[in-house]
Amino acid sequence: MWVLCAVLSATDSVALDHGALERMVTGDHDALGELYDRHGRTVYSLALRVLRDQGDAEDIVQEVFSQVWRQAGKYDRGRGSVIAWLLTLTRSRAIDRLRGRKSRPEPIGDESLLSDLAAGGPSADEQLTWAGHATRIRTALDGISTLQRAAIELAFFEGLTHAEIAERLELPLGTVKTRIRQGLLTLRDRLAGAH
Amino acid sequence: MSDHTMEHDRLRESTALYVLEALDELERAEFERHLATCADCAEEVRSLRTVAGALPLSVPQVDPPFALRSRILAAAGAQAKKSPTVVAMPSAPSSSSRLSRAGWLSAAALLVLSAGLGVYSWSLGQQIVGLRERLTDVIAQLDRSQEETAVAVRTASATQTRLTVLLAPDMRQVDLEGQPAAPRASGRAFWSRSRGLVFTASNLPPLPRGRTYQLWMVSADAPVSAGVLSPDQSGGVAETFSTPTDVPAPVAIALTIEPEGGLPAPTGDKYLVGLTH
Repeated sequence: MWVLCAVLSATDSVALDHGALERMVTGDHDALGELYDRHGRTVYSLALRVLRDQGDAEDIVQEVFSQVWRQAGKYDRGRGSVIAWLLTLTRSRAIDRLRGRKSRPEPIGDESLLSDLAAGGPSADEQLTWAGHATRIRTALDGISTLQRAAIELAFFEGLTHAEIAERLELPLGTVKTRIRQGLLTLRDRLAGAH
Repeated sequence: MSDHTMEHDRLRESTALYVLEALDELERAEFERHLATCADCAEEVRSLRTVAGALPLSVPQVDPPFALRSRILAAAGAQAKKSPTVVAMPSAPSSSSRLSRAGWLSAAALLVLSAGLGVYSWSLGQQIVGLRERLTDVIAQLDRSQEETAVAVRTASATQTRLTVLLAPDMRQVDLEGQPAAPRASGRAFWSRSRGLVFTASNLPPLPRGRTYQLWMVSADAPVSAGVLSPDQSGGVAETFSTPTDVPAPVAIALTIEPEGGLPAPTGDKYLVGLTH
């Protein structure tokens, strides 16, 4: 159901999010509420996947929306979708907490992991709706080897370095490197091919 | 090969690790220096970022607790006003002013509530009993399937051993014929000095109590026992034996009937005999 709603609203959502950020700059709380209503669930689900603890995940969601409220004015809409920014912040904060690290400087620059995503994507192939991504990425993930998937997920959701992944999976360093790249390349091709 | 090409070949594998932030500090700095001068790697990094960006969507979607929304809005409100007095606190009921009637009402409510809780905990108890029964069933099922797996593994392992013998480069086949004691029986032996012996037979007469069939590798010196075996109800048998690699080359393979457990040398009637060629 959520997927369906997202499909219907995906195109408008980008413009709505930008509008919401502009209203937040003027101190409009309702705008923050609207942004939360659109993306709170996605953000919470990611934090929960990384931390596997409801209380910790709630803290992260609160921190992320707090930061967005504070920094709404600094956000440059040329950079792409707000949800990509939200998810970058969420992953980074959640992994920091998971690994007991102090939070890194708050990233809002072009280097953010998700900066090319969704509406900000430069090519037509990448102009994917948010929900289209969801279904497709799941199907695509089912199509790569278990080992490739495990290695990719350890890096993305648990913030391990490739050396740590090699140790965890008891594989040679070079194998992990190759598996991760091959896995992501296959995902890329499958995502593009399924268009 | 140019320096750039060599560097490129070495660092190309790191594009995905860079995108997933799985490089350590030094590796990352080195890769970024390369990235600044390499259009190919930059293009790959850009395309892989899109893929990594989609990964959060693969996780199961879970609704956050209802109260989180108001906590977030309240926190933003507190930040905006920069004043602690403005934060809306739920007004605490002053207990002293609520007496008599309200007190009796809550006592009555408590009674109803505790009765309700009693029923509720009884129904929970019933659920636990049900769940425990299901758990026992599931565990029994699991045990059964583990046993089945063990049997399958043993069968597979026996088949594997048999195949190893049959496919050995030094495998020799010996056909065995029924002797007067068992004219309808027949058998076949496959022997590899390096890998062992596979023996199959059919129509073997049932064994008398306290007796066993024993298989012999008969050489010019003396018969060497390959092992004992029992046929199934239809008189068929298929067994694999490991044989000493230094066993003298057999001139014949023979099956005799011996006392249970077998003997070092044959004493009983021959049931099957086959000459090696």
